[in-house]
Amino acid sequence: MSEQAISAQPPAVTVARSRSSGGGAVLTGVYWATFLVVVAMVAIPVVALVYGSFRTSAPGLPGDWTLQNYANLASGGVLSSMTTTLIIGLFTSVISIVVGTTIALIVHRTDFRYGNIVVALIGLSFYFPSFILAMAWIIVGAPGGIYNTIVDDTLGLSWLRADIYTSAGIVFVMSLHQVPFVYLTMRGPIAGMDPIYEEAANTAGAKPHQVLLRVTLPLLGYSLISSFILTFVMTIEQFAIPALLGIPGQVTMLATQLYLLVRFTPTDYGLAAAIGVALSLITGAAIWAQRRVTTAGRLTTVTGKAGRLKLIPLGKWRWAANLLCFGFIFLGLVMPMVILIYTSLLKWFTVNPLEGMYTLRNYIFIWESASTLRSFTNTLIVSGVGAAVGVTLGLLCCYFTLRLRPRGYRALDFVVSLPFGVPGVVLGLGLLWAYAYLPLPLYGTLTLMIIAFVTRFLPYATETIGGQMVQIDKSLEEAAWVNGATRSQGIWRILLPLVTPSVQGAYFLLFMAFFREISSAILIYSVNTAVISISIWSFFEQANWGLASALAVVATLIIFIAMALIMRLVPTARRG
Amino acid sequence: MSINVKNLVKRYGTLTVVHGISFDVGKGEFISLLGPSGCGKTTTLRCIAGLEDADGGVVQIDGKVVSAPEQDILVPAHQRQIGMVFQSYAIWPHMTVAANVGFPLSIRKVPAADVAKQVDEALEIVGMRHLRERHPSQLSGGQQQRVALARAIVGRPSVLLFDEPLSNLDAKLREGTRIEIKRLQRELDVATVYVTHDQEEALSMSDRVVVMDHGRITQAGTPKELYRRPANRFVADFVGRASFIDVERGQSNGWSTAGGVALKLDDAGAPKAERYQAMLRPESVEIAPGSHGRVEDGINVLEGRVLESHYLGAYTEYLVDTSGTRVKVHSRSDFDVGDAVTLRFPQEFCRLVALADEQRA
Repeated sequence: MSEQAISAQPPAVTVARSRSSGGGAVLTGVYWATFLVVVAMVAIPVVALVYGSFRTSAPGLPGDWTLQNYANLASGGVLSSMTTTLIIGLFTSVISIVVGTTIALIVHRTDFRYGNIVVALIGLSFYFPSFILAMAWIIVGAPGGIYNTIVDDTLGLSWLRADIYTSAGIVFVMSLHQVPFVYLTMRGPIAGMDPIYEEAANTAGAKPHQVLLRVTLPLLGYSLISSFILTFVMTIEQFAIPALLGIPGQVTMLATQLYLLVRFTPTDYGLAAAIGVALSLITGAAIWAQRRVTTAGRLTTVTGKAGRLKLIPLGKWRWAANLLCFGFIFLGLVMPMVILIYTSLLKWFTVNPLEGMYTLRNYIFIWESASTLRSFTNTLIVSGVGAAVGVTLGLLCCYFTLRLRPRGYRALDFVVSLPFGVPGVVLGLGLLWAYAYLPLPLYGTLTLMIIAFVTRFLPYATETIGGQMVQIDKSLEEAAWVNGATRSQGIWRILLPLVTPSVQGAYFLLFMAFFREISSAILIYSVNTAVISISIWSFFEQANWGLASALAVVATLIIFIAMALIMRLVPTARRG
Repeated sequence: MSINVKNLVKRYGTLTVVHGISFDVGKGEFISLLGPSGCGKTTTLRCIAGLEDADGGVVQIDGKVVSAPEQDILVPAHQRQIGMVFQSYAIWPHMTVAANVGFPLSIRKVPAADVAKQVDEALEIVGMRHLRERHPSQLSGGQQQRVALARAIVGRPSVLLFDEPLSNLDAKLREGTRIEIKRLQRELDVATVYVTHDQEEALSMSDRVVVMDHGRITQAGTPKELYRRPANRFVADFVGRASFIDVERGQSNGWSTAGGVALKLDDAGAPKAERYQAMLRPESVEIAPGSHGRVEDGINVLEGRVLESHYLGAYTEYLVDTSGTRVKVHSRSDFDVGDAVTLRFPQEFCRLVALADEQRA
């Protein structure tokens, strides 16, 4: 080994002074642009909301600073809706977890015979919009609805009467809406669990049901808690179901109270903002707890060596398994769809299908009404363009937070995940406050609608794309660099082709989410920017059930088509 | 000289993982970086490749400075003109075998006809030409390995880097690929750095081995030097099997065991240390029944009793107790546990090694 005088060597390649981990100037520019856009999108409504919660007046009007809005949170009305929200949330989450997990266990762990069809139909019901589900159940369960007419008038069993406009009704419909989510979050852990734990229990002498109770369920503990918390969050921030069922029955949850305070006199924008802050704090805290649980549970069980599990024989309980699975699909998907199609074909609503006068005029009206057609084109623009914007931003965020990791990437990661904790109505209210002051002529435009939707669903895009990106071994890119590719060439030629399926999946996921989104649109739409969900909502509020149903049927079909495209493109995107 | 590493330093935050190491790799020379996981060997390799930014020191490839952070020189990986084989192979799953191997050429704007020709050549060398249109998912682990190898050599780089390339292969395949890599490297006559934690790999393939521990070089030398004259207990233990006998400096500059038995040791050039041990390779010890040893010049004779016996097919490994010291012996003769035996080993195979304080056995 000869010692060469290295200092005597000329510094040969001074051209290439850029640090290899820093990337080029272009990438740095793109990074800061992404950073600014994302921070602005998330921070503007949040800051405006907090600002509004300390003001005495409506957005845009002169007012004073005040703490009165927060003091009013302690008033009887707000406290009671807070209690109602928490109780409904808790009941819904418990029911959804039990039913959803049981279905997942039946489908993936027993010799249940109809697994494929049940999985497909639960997938469909996951994408069934909540407000359409609620509408269908109102047609069924309202005091003058189908169910009560049958039990009371036809059968004369008045003690069987039931009212959907109650807390119990809200819990029922919300559970129907949340069970598919629980199923989808529990399916991975249940189906992907390493079989060795259960095999060990088997060889130790445990019977199948003992294995289930003593080994399988405890191992699923973290996943169960995580799914429970997320369900709770989605329930308490739900807007459509509590509004449709709760406002007629005067069951008020926080999200509906916020809506009422903004949309109906006497308005109180300041109190609404304070409620929004309080609700966001609750959901934010819950999501923080969920993240902690997920981190703590990360080391356990799932290996991906699935498929070799021994199935538990259902035996004499087969009928119960069939009843639960098909009962859920009937109540959560098939019956609502049938009811909506039925209602959409009637000239005047009637319970007895034999007395009905059938017509296609509701569908014809969709094509003939300029405002309805406009809401369709609005929706297609918002969904199509918005999803593209959302996916682009999501892809950039994933690349920066997972791969390049430049200065400040942790802050970006945090900001991107924030909308998870902000309920849709609250986001809408924040934007309402913000664009009353900002010198941007965005209020009442489709652009604002796109901003709202992209902000709200950006985490969906980053979760879908990031989920695939972390699975791509970093050495695949490193191999490209070593072989002469620059950072950008590595992205274009290696990383991007490999994440394409999840990018396509994320696009349709966002498209679908935007197509059925109502909670963040309800406070910021104007006559010209109404989207299809708003149109359905308005027709239903005007008691035009037929037209609302026809629109709902068409919208649901479009959503199901988009979903079928996702299923074909990305297995991983099914996580939703 | 094709690779020069001088005082290379790498830190992660406050943790220093490479403490100013230096070594050179000549043209056509095959160097292994050997050490347990976490010793800094892979980090060193990645600093040479440009996949990590060094924090200090100078790295030159073919006389060109590619890394000198103190002078603000850090040539990015894609400008360093190296061939590298990754532990996970890093075969791009969305490209065919030919596209994978052709990538280093096409990214450097080599004309398509030349790319095809050179790809075929490279695939021919690794015996994969008939699979050029396959996708990686249709290849076995060993075949992916060969594609990775072809991709590393296709641009005729002046430097080849290997990051534990055989650790994902099964034992049989590993042996074959080992021979093949070595053959290839000889033919291409290219400076090679090979990272491994497998001492057998390092000994059999390398011209020189650099043993690393805790981000420092413990010893660098030819495989024979390392095996026969390890600098300290760590190297002796990591490279090959060995027994260690506590020894003290006796009267008249000789050495004796803790039990007071005099030992003749090879202590030439041993580094200074607080404490010492005698290292004994199990295959260099002769074992005979009975307890009557004749004394010869330069031969140690110890009497003992067989404690354990492990039959390994080609030989049996015996653990022999000699007045409180345990010695491993490999022998083709048969003994029973409890037999009285005599151990004989020449002075040159009983090497004095330094013992760090925390390494007391």
